[in-house]
Amino acid sequence: MAPLNSLSKEYPLIDSNFQTFCASHAIYSVEDFLLHDLDALFASAANHSNSERLKQGIHQLLLIVDALHPPVLNGLQLIEDAKRNKHVFSTGCEGIDALLGGGLRVGQLTELVGPSSSGKTQVCLMSSSTVAKNKCSVIYLDTGNSFSPQRIAYFVGQSSDYVSVNQNILDRIICYPVFDVYQMFDLLHQLKINLRSQIVKSDHQVQVLIVDSISSLITPILRGNGPQGHALMISSGFLLKQLAHEHNIAVLVTNHVVGGDDGNPKPALGESWKSVPHVRLLLSRDCRSNVSNISIIKHPAMASGRSATSTRLFV
Amino acid sequence: MEIGMLPISASKRGKLLAAGYTTLHSILRTSTTHLVRDIEVSESEALEILNFATRSNDLDKSSGSNTNVIDGGQTAWDMLNEERFSSLITTSCLDLDNILGGGINCKEVTEIGGVPGIGKTQIGIQLAVNVQIPLDYGGLGGKAIYIDTEGSFMVERVLQIAEACIEDMSEYSHHFHKDNQAFGVKMHPNSILENIFYFRVCSYTEQIALVNYLDKFVTEHKDVKIIIIDSVTFHFRQDFDDMALRTRLLGEMSLKLMKLAKNLSLAVVMLNQVTTKHIEGSFQLTLALGDSWSHSCTNRIILYWNGDERHAYIDKSPSLKSASAPYSVTSRGIRNSTSSSKRIKMV
Repeated sequence: MAPLNSLSKEYPLIDSNFQTFCASHAIYSVEDFLLHDLDALFASAANHSNSERLKQGIHQLLLIVDALHPPVLNGLQLIEDAKRNKHVFSTGCEGIDALLGGGLRVGQLTELVGPSSSGKTQVCLMSSSTVAKNKCSVIYLDTGNSFSPQRIAYFVGQSSDYVSVNQNILDRIICYPVFDVYQMFDLLHQLKINLRSQIVKSDHQVQVLIVDSISSLITPILRGNGPQGHALMISSGFLLKQLAHEHNIAVLVTNHVVGGDDGNPKPALGESWKSVPHVRLLLSRDCRSNVSNISIIKHPAMASGRSATSTRLFV
Repeated sequence: MEIGMLPISASKRGKLLAAGYTTLHSILRTSTTHLVRDIEVSESEALEILNFATRSNDLDKSSGSNTNVIDGGQTAWDMLNEERFSSLITTSCLDLDNILGGGINCKEVTEIGGVPGIGKTQIGIQLAVNVQIPLDYGGLGGKAIYIDTEGSFMVERVLQIAEACIEDMSEYSHHFHKDNQAFGVKMHPNSILENIFYFRVCSYTEQIALVNYLDKFVTEHKDVKIIIIDSVTFHFRQDFDDMALRTRLLGEMSLKLMKLAKNLSLAVVMLNQVTTKHIEGSFQLTLALGDSWSHSCTNRIILYWNGDERHAYIDKSPSLKSASAPYSVTSRGIRNSTSSSKRIKMV
């Protein structure tokens, strides 16, 4: 929290007198102010010579704090918001949609976990093409040069009647190659600004954000010199969830697996990341028989452990 | 945007937080002198922090254009059209080229792994020669960088393969341009050798330093179209006590290689060794360097023995079908398998 003297330029009520008064109560920053007993502060201000001005200063600080926190919502407002804004997007594959309770939900962070070559990128590409066919925009952050426009064209071409429609559909999927976690932050931040100031046009509204894969961005910085890698991981999760909720986007990320203690593979990125996504799905594929298996690790509304098996889950 | 997302060192971040600067706005409100006094850094460091903060804040303000495309992105339609002109490097084996969709793709990182003796280095050398095939003959006319970690690069063998390649090219021109005598091949094996830049690395730090340096090198030598690393595993397998450090270093190296491939439009080929893994009660052969590394490539090809024949199998690819094809290693390089059954086996 800012030191009090930095506020003096914008808010003339918080002048040097006020700051001296606060300093006499050991209040040097806004944080100290919030921790202090406000009634006692008011009482002490009343005993001072320019008590009115001091009380106005205290009120000013309280106003600044009030303006900064997000609005409080009650349950009814939340349900209305969910009905109006939080749609569900089909992924294009019935098995996955059934497991997800309809598909990718706006406002939620869905994670796909799986070993290499289990189909995570394919699910991402398929979801992008399905969402684009339903006239919504997709932003695809690609860290491994795995975004394949041919595959997208294949998925789109499978069930669309006119070839000329393809350009409109493909124009709705925008791919950003990202090779650095700071680059991802910059991009997400710019996206947030764009969304805040955007005039809503149904054809160009970004509704799905895919990060493939977030683990390759975060693994190089985890457990390094100190906890900042961990902090960056949690901040990125927080930023993605904030984007999802405030701007009505469905977020899909992919993660890889590492060897666990008993030899069974477990999702990468550690224990703290477990609580970040709302929905976690585990994919696996048996190479020889080409049978894919998806199961739920975590879901707010479906039972975990439910799974779907299919040969050729997506052609 | 919070302080945690600024690219500054951990100690400076700690000092900022301890002095009470927890948000971007609080930094922007002060001046360099205040920063120098509060967190005890030099003038230039304080100026650097303020610059980072201002730049992040400018991102906030620059919401002028109402388009959806933030800088750096491309729509799928544009990428699809670009891909039609994309460059492929042939492997000189028709079956292998067919399952690869024409050859090794530029802008992608391909990992090729297999048991010792299967022909990984041979494929690497063949690609280093094939990238130099001139545009007239359907090649890229580019140069190659060969990073050798094991010392298995034999110049005599490269000369042999280069000569065979030139003979093949002159045979091709003889077939298709019978009337035009002046269409002879103007290449000499020595010029092929000249266009392969060879680096020998002897430790993992050298390998990482070289990958960091490649960006500058390729910008100076713009014709480089392929980077072959043979093998990427060697220095990371022995004497590495700290596995967590290894995972971090490998993750960073793979991101840098991906960035090189994408930004400079070249192909990166990494050759890998095999190890055994205990899966479901039995031991299976998998590629070395662990689970995290298996995600660090765009495509993966596994080479294996099938009876007496060498086969290549596409293990991971975003757009290619899983298939395997036979190939053989001859005195002229990598060629089609000479056995009678030349079918591509669809898995």
